[in-house]
Amino acid sequence: MKSVMTGNQAIARGFWEAGGRLAASYPGSPTVEMLESLKEYEEIYSEFSVNEKVALEVAMGASFYGARAMASMKHVGVNIAADPLMTFTQIKINGGFVLVSGDDPGMASSQNEQDNRIFGKFANMGILYPGNSQEAKDYMKIALEMSENFQMPMLLDITSRVCHSRSIVEMGERVEMDIKGFSPDREKYTMLPPHTFKPQYEMVERLEKLSETAYDIPINQLYEREGTDTLIIASGLMYYNLLELDLDVSIYKLGLVFPLSQKRMRELADRYSNIIVLEEMMPFIENELTLMGIKSKGKELFSFTGELHIEDIRRGLKKAGIIEGVDESEAPKLQMIPRPPMFCAGCPHRPVFDVLKKAKVRVIGDIGCYSMAALDQWDASDIMISMGASVGITKGMNKMMRRNGDHAPLVSVIGDGTFFHSGMTGFVNLLHQMDEEDNMTFIILENSTTAMTGGQHNASSGNFNSADDMKVDIKAMLSAIGFTNVREVDQFDYKAMKEAVKEETGRKGTSVIIATRPCALRFKIKEKNFYVDPKVCIGCRTCVKTNCPPIRMKEYQGIDKLKSFIDPDMCVGCSVCAQVCPVGAIKRSR
Amino acid sequence: MKNIMVAGVGGQGLVLATKIMAEAALKAGLDVKTNDVVGLSQRGGMVWGSARIGEKVHSPNIPVGEGDILLGMEPLEALRWKGLLRKGAVVVINEKRTYPSSVLLEEKEYPERDIGDLEKEYVVIRVDAVKEAKEAGNIKAANTVVLGILARHLDINKEIWEEVLLENVPPKAKDANIKAFNIGYGYQKD
Repeated sequence: MKSVMTGNQAIARGFWEAGGRLAASYPGSPTVEMLESLKEYEEIYSEFSVNEKVALEVAMGASFYGARAMASMKHVGVNIAADPLMTFTQIKINGGFVLVSGDDPGMASSQNEQDNRIFGKFANMGILYPGNSQEAKDYMKIALEMSENFQMPMLLDITSRVCHSRSIVEMGERVEMDIKGFSPDREKYTMLPPHTFKPQYEMVERLEKLSETAYDIPINQLYEREGTDTLIIASGLMYYNLLELDLDVSIYKLGLVFPLSQKRMRELADRYSNIIVLEEMMPFIENELTLMGIKSKGKELFSFTGELHIEDIRRGLKKAGIIEGVDESEAPKLQMIPRPPMFCAGCPHRPVFDVLKKAKVRVIGDIGCYSMAALDQWDASDIMISMGASVGITKGMNKMMRRNGDHAPLVSVIGDGTFFHSGMTGFVNLLHQMDEEDNMTFIILENSTTAMTGGQHNASSGNFNSADDMKVDIKAMLSAIGFTNVREVDQFDYKAMKEAVKEETGRKGTSVIIATRPCALRFKIKEKNFYVDPKVCIGCRTCVKTNCPPIRMKEYQGIDKLKSFIDPDMCVGCSVCAQVCPVGAIKRSR
Repeated sequence: MKNIMVAGVGGQGLVLATKIMAEAALKAGLDVKTNDVVGLSQRGGMVWGSARIGEKVHSPNIPVGEGDILLGMEPLEALRWKGLLRKGAVVVINEKRTYPSSVLLEEKEYPERDIGDLEKEYVVIRVDAVKEAKEAGNIKAANTVVLGILARHLDINKEIWEEVLLENVPPKAKDANIKAFNIGYGYQKD
């Protein structure tokens, strides 16, 4: 039977067909849908863990017990999981283990563009690189087999385009795999020296064995054409983009991108005088060839950043002299109004940032929907780096400000999901060397969900939604570890939020404000809509500046000046605009 | 090969639209690949999807200048992608405007004239899909109206489209979606 699937769904299907038993993940684009799809298969225990490190560890536990396991995460998630990963890969694994990394060339929804093939090599893992949904499914199964055959964790590295693209997949049946159980073996499973010495050699040996297999492995395919001295090496989506150009060259398609077979590569180098490597992001394969002493062209033709579209490949190959006389078709650059994302109508973040913007305080942001406070229309957040980083950054900047005689308050904003992911440790660290000159206000946006990735649960979702099982009480937790100034505020009471920020930033010390409104999108909150009475409205635009999708200025019949207007189809009735209106022109409909 | 681009605003349900196109193509025995943007952009930002349908499809990406049909679920978003189209391509425009931040804040003007000018280069079909969907009985079936218009331009049986639609919409919305699809299928350019 055939079915249409995204790459993400196909990876889940492949894991199920291969007898997979446990999958863990942390939601992050482009891989979110993998675990969401896995939840449909009852034979598999699956969870969104509290962060990627924990997800990897949960999956490791299953592998140690002899079950086939996978952990999936976005590329930067592997950074969080790197500590256990780098040691885990020294171990001869028991149950097949695959780490799925969703890389994001072009950074459609990521804070950086790191190429995790380099991580795979760093961690001594074999790396598979699918280019469509069929391959995503097949490679998952192959990766689990390789993992057990070579006793190594494997990396399935997939790019965002392949994660989200749909294509036709031939479905297979599930093969039941026994859970083998765990036999204690301290030398093998406890990684302290001297047990760590032997694995250094074993990691090299297993990669050497895998590179021998790579010589004629079916997923590395050579398509040769007569009479050409050019060979293009491509993998993943780049292979399929290349086919669009229908060129008279030979192509070596790599499914296994690391390790390469040195023997095969030398044979090809002897046959082809002109070797071109087509790959997105880093010159990974190109560098592997260089290490073998094989000359190739890659990044001199194709950009090291962004996605490589068919047009980019055409331009690169023109530069290489492979294509002649084509005009450089490029979409005419239109001066087009951008459409950046906005806080939703009814978003609980809106009043918080409206207050902060008006308070003119320095704000350190974090990762979540509230990252959008750094966009032009808000200009209400000054620094944003990575998950949970706001807490430590705020402390460090605060310490230096005070030593520098700068007594301005510092505000830090973090969501609940990010707090649990990696903000908590930063909060414990705040308790060390507290100083009476400190002035830090931490605002925790407790919206009861991981909103930006589509509304997955987090550790405090259960407090609001009975369908979620974790009910961590953030206020009680912070109080228990030693914070004396923690308060909860319902930010839809605009005045209360404003007062809380004014008070806490106005006094020295370390304080925490927990803003308690749930996410309007996940919980589909809708109340009676608001409307503007144009006869009362003075056209001051205070409501428009809250940047809510339904609110704009409009011409009313018989009124000269533009007055505010609220699109009734879009308003969900949160009341924030009515609260900021200085003349009471905004009213709730009946 | 037909190259179909669909563009709109986060929250309009474009991912389901490309899914329906893909499943209809598979049922018709054709090859298909689609793209979708997913992620932060769903918060009212620009979103787009694409489908390539034919005997054999290599890349899911539509080459520049080869777009055959553009479904603009919002007029500005239709305009944004015109560079992808071939000459004489079909552009369906859903008339419901959603203003981007800079227009709401009166920093920029909504490009009404450029949107009107699309008629000079392309076959433009304007439709108030929201109004038509309301008439069909469900305001959420606006995309289905547009899919009905699309179906007229593809070699896939109407019955296949209806079958796939029924598989993809909630039971309560089945009648309204079939109605909405047929409104689109029989839609006359005025």
